[in-house]
Amino acid sequence: MERTAGAEQQKNSSLMAPRLACLVVPLFPLAARLRSEPALKDEAVVLCEGNGTAAHVVAATRKARKAGIRPGFTLPQARALVPDLLARARDTESERAAQEALLDVAGTVSPRVEDAGDGVVYLDVDGLERLFPDERDLGLALIAAAKRESLPARCGLASSKLAARVAATLPSSPVTVLAGGEAAFLAPLPLAKLDPEAEIVETLARWGLASVGDLAKLPAADVASRLGARGHALHETARGRDPRPLVPRRPPPGFTEGMELDWPLVTLEPFLALAEGALTRLARRLEAEAVGCARLDVSLTLEPEGCDTRSFELPAPTRDVKTLLTLVRLGLEGRPPGAAVTGFSLTAQPDTPRKGQLTLFGPAEISPDRLATALAKLFALLGPGRVGAPRAVDGYRPERFALVPFAPPPPPATRKTPRTGRGLLSVRVLRPPVPLEMLLEGGRPTSLRALASTPPADGGGRPALDVAGAVRVASGPWRLEEGWWQEAPAFRAYWDVELSGGGLYRIFHDEAGGEWFADGVYD
Amino acid sequence: MSALPLSALLPVLQDLPQGIAARLTTAAGLSRERLAPEFLPTRIEGLDRLLGGGLPRGTLVEMSGRASSGRFSVALSALAAATQTGEAAALVDPGDHFDPQGAAAAGAELSRVLWLRPRGLKMALAAAETVLATGFALVILDLGLARVFRQSAGDAVWLRLARRARFHDAALLVLAPTRVTGTAARIVLAADAARVGWDRSLLDGLSSRLVLEKTRDANMKEKTSLLNLSLLEAVQAGKKERKICLEREEKEKENAVAFSGHLSAFGR
Repeated sequence: MERTAGAEQQKNSSLMAPRLACLVVPLFPLAARLRSEPALKDEAVVLCEGNGTAAHVVAATRKARKAGIRPGFTLPQARALVPDLLARARDTESERAAQEALLDVAGTVSPRVEDAGDGVVYLDVDGLERLFPDERDLGLALIAAAKRESLPARCGLASSKLAARVAATLPSSPVTVLAGGEAAFLAPLPLAKLDPEAEIVETLARWGLASVGDLAKLPAADVASRLGARGHALHETARGRDPRPLVPRRPPPGFTEGMELDWPLVTLEPFLALAEGALTRLARRLEAEAVGCARLDVSLTLEPEGCDTRSFELPAPTRDVKTLLTLVRLGLEGRPPGAAVTGFSLTAQPDTPRKGQLTLFGPAEISPDRLATALAKLFALLGPGRVGAPRAVDGYRPERFALVPFAPPPPPATRKTPRTGRGLLSVRVLRPPVPLEMLLEGGRPTSLRALASTPPADGGGRPALDVAGAVRVASGPWRLEEGWWQEAPAFRAYWDVELSGGGLYRIFHDEAGGEWFADGVYD
Repeated sequence: MSALPLSALLPVLQDLPQGIAARLTTAAGLSRERLAPEFLPTRIEGLDRLLGGGLPRGTLVEMSGRASSGRFSVALSALAAATQTGEAAALVDPGDHFDPQGAAAAGAELSRVLWLRPRGLKMALAAAETVLATGFALVILDLGLARVFRQSAGDAVWLRLARRARFHDAALLVLAPTRVTGTAARIVLAADAARVGWDRSLLDGLSSRLVLEKTRDANMKEKTSLLNLSLLEAVQAGKKERKICLEREEKEKENAVAFSGHLSAFGR
């Protein structure tokens, strides 16, 4: 009966104020730190603020609290109780990432989310009755989603921000306050829950008021005339009418995870171990939003000051942690930061992966997700400029080429029949051309031998061409002139030569340098 | 109820219109049809006939042969044919030998080609394994011109690649100067030394002999085929034109020399 009445009350009241949920992470700075360093969860750890002897405990893990450590203790006091106590400084980077993760959790159920800072998030849950008929289920879902992000959150649901916030701080979370029942819910609570100003607290104490209900019972006009606008607002709050509206946040363009380190890192492996954790969290958040990372921005804080930033463009959006980590590794190995690293942040610029279309009669399309991951893996394995779709380039030099990102068009609806071919002779291009030692007779090649070529500048692994012999047939020369206006123009005289021992090669005489090269093998 | 023997059905089949009769088959035939591999044609008639229709999907096909034996042309022809049907193809090219202009002229749709330029054999094998698992219909692994020793990769790698190709229904074509894949290849082709064709002093093309060295398919009757490769017509025409120009220039030069000699003789 009471339930029915409550439901009726909720229905009437819901016409006036939207239903709000509040997610609160108790001991937020500590929770954020443990999210970045999950191995510390079961240890006796304290989070400190201040330096040297001024360092004092801000928060402590359960094990430390059991040993008697309380916020406000100095670090030596805490260490006296627990000798093997681990101390960590507050980490603003971890806290920022944890706050963003909490906002993402709220964003999975509602688009209207307010960032209240320090582990507190409000969200508008109006209109979710069909998805979650019981509000408690909604609260449980939010808590479970936060737990997946390694955040021990509590949840409260009410029709005002204050009531929802207070409900979220109570044990046996989630706590639901029926619509219109906010005043009754707040009445037995101490006035401190309303977070009044010190001056007003003194006045209310002189008046002998102890609970929120005591204040709510006073006439509104009298309170306003004696305590002014601030007092009136406090009185309205005490009566369950929170005048503060929900201020939805605008989602940031990227997803960021990072850490400030207690000690500077000078080698790559420990850094990669931390980066892997951050990338795993990042991938989980990207997955929750059904997006992939199209560009990874890495920012490193250096010792004693300075910052090193770099970006890794991905050929297609991906959430593959191993691939992203390999990219970071290759980037740092290729260009080390130059100083010890004291903090880092990894920002993923999101992009929506393309969806594939199934076909009944045409060739099957490669799954865009799988292709994106494979391309990113190949990109990480082979390096930039070594993965892509080839593109024909205007010009005459046979070695010319261009690579563009591989994005195949959708396959045709029906399988096409290939055009009939008759077997065309193709040329293997030798990049870079192999220098030759030539014997000439009357200007025509009669014998050749490949010389040891210098390795390519980018470290490419083209094997040396092992060729030598008498020329059986030589056809040429075919002149090639290109780029006379450039620094390195091409003035070449081409020959097709067949060697008596077998092999058909395309060779040229560089008329500017006077040297001979082989730049292709007919094969 | 007992099944009718096939002989009892034959008169019925004979009475049916030809179009319908051609589409009827027995259950055993249907099973064979279903199990028969799908082919990716190479567009080289002799080779397609030799392989029973083209490169069979789900298998590793190895083609070995020395430089200028025509194996790279076969690979590009298969690449062109596969992309023309709308399939995606990957070329793993550690030697960096691919010529996009030549492939486009041969009919390849370059937007459907993934070109990988790994540094060295180890990377090439890893890249081939990745693309096989992605769902490409055709993967070509060209090991270039230098000899690759079997022990440098190991038999297990080739078996793994063959298994990947079978699992993902891809045709994997491995090109190498000498045999490298060991027992993993289902079909092994060897290209003999080529005979180069010259049209007077102009390169016309080359022809070699393809030998089916190994197959696990008993239906493959033929063991050899001729591989005739001709130079692209546009290239050939251009060369002819330039040849004529060169000859004309040389003749003019000779005439000029003769004329100046005549003048000097006259002056003396």
